[in-house]
Amino acid sequence: MTERVAITGIGVVSPAGLKKETFWANLKKCKSFVDEITRFDASLYPSRIAGQVHELDHYSHLSSRLVKKIDVFSHMALVASEQALQDAKIDLNNIDKTRVGVFMGNAIGGWLFAETELRDMYVEGREGVSPYMASAWFPAAPQGQVTIYYGFKGYSKTIVADKASSALAIWYGAKIIKEGKNDYVLAGGMEAPITPYALLSSNTCGQLSKNNLNPKKAYKPYDLYRDGFVLAEGSGIVNLEKEQHAKKRGINIYGYIKGIGFSSDGYHYSRYSPDSESFEYAIEECLKDADWSKKDVDYICLDAEATPMGDFLETKALKNVFGKDLHNIALSAPKSMYGNLLGAQTALDLIVTLFSINHGTVLPTINYEMQDPYCDLDYTPNVLKEKKIDKALLLARGRGGINVVLAIEK
Amino acid sequence: MALKEEVINAIADTLDVKVEELGETEKLYDSIGVDSTEMVELCVSLGKKFGVKIASNEITKFSTPLEITKIIESKKQ
Repeated sequence: MTERVAITGIGVVSPAGLKKETFWANLKKCKSFVDEITRFDASLYPSRIAGQVHELDHYSHLSSRLVKKIDVFSHMALVASEQALQDAKIDLNNIDKTRVGVFMGNAIGGWLFAETELRDMYVEGREGVSPYMASAWFPAAPQGQVTIYYGFKGYSKTIVADKASSALAIWYGAKIIKEGKNDYVLAGGMEAPITPYALLSSNTCGQLSKNNLNPKKAYKPYDLYRDGFVLAEGSGIVNLEKEQHAKKRGINIYGYIKGIGFSSDGYHYSRYSPDSESFEYAIEECLKDADWSKKDVDYICLDAEATPMGDFLETKALKNVFGKDLHNIALSAPKSMYGNLLGAQTALDLIVTLFSINHGTVLPTINYEMQDPYCDLDYTPNVLKEKKIDKALLLARGRGGINVVLAIEK
Repeated sequence: MALKEEVINAIADTLDVKVEELGETEKLYDSIGVDSTEMVELCVSLGKKFGVKIASNEITKFSTPLEITKIIESKKQ
């Protein structure tokens, strides 16, 4: 990508806050927003802790007539989209809506709606199922709801690629802007896995922390005593447009999407390849696409799976790619504070990194106490630090080895 | 309560709109912009409430509350 795509609006719905200002202020506290799940009886689940969004209705602009037709993951996407559009100061009455697109990523779809209606089907029969079921549960529903709500008719897409979903959606949206097919793109992701069935499915993947007695301490990537990541729900949406287009409007630019690298392990349907070559290839490709040298990178926002293999392979890939240059690069996983949003994780990573770029601040990896001899890098443990960041990479790995790396710059 | 009022209340309740938004001789599409999926929900909901079977082609987006009342009334007889 040689022509830059500007990020001019931010919308965030997260366990650490539902507006960008609150989100950033809370993250600077460097504390955990993970709690025990209380909205349903999760007492028999092996992992029953999560980063949860508590005040969605309070921040929502939607009518109850619409809310009952959609799953909560679409609701979160609509709230985040509204914030992003307002932040980007887009006058909806004076734009060509055939040139506005929506690019979203999520991993699992809308299970709260789906499992409720499936229960009703078995209890009440065919007529017990809401007619909105068909349009509420599937992964492209949020994209559809956002386009319908605003009347956007431009080229749009939904990407499902496990934890790399929103990374690919953001890149795809940026590509469409660069190619001049749309004037504006809302890009990002949303995920709502804190439901009885989705939580069960997520538990069976075997990668969730079971440190239920200490929710605030549970998500501790790269620590010797980590036992998996913590689920979270939420949505992150950004507005994309061409650099010159944004400058002509005189709007604030948070940063630019500069490049992407991606690869597949081609090894196993759920596990990563035990060597890190494919992941390294994605990082190298991203640097090439952005036209950066290894010395150019100031910050890397980590994938942080918090499993022995995931953390080890990520560490190994970084060492192999950057070598001695790694000492000059700040590394961290701010998601250790609010949890892993699966398909929406990179959307939140992007927003966090944009704040880091604009404030010259590296948010830490919290709960880091004991070094793992196989993960011996400086992951910015527990305390934030000041650092000028001009160029940053975002790492995302989907299960089975879907490797995506995004390059972001000031 | 007269059947007509009961039907209007049931429509408002099912679709999450205010009773005042529904004109009894105004098409549902014109008064509240009802969509086809909402009409499916309405058929099932009114059928359950009034103990009748309403096919999805019997009441449409272009039906008025008064017309819907008459259909339910005829089925109840």
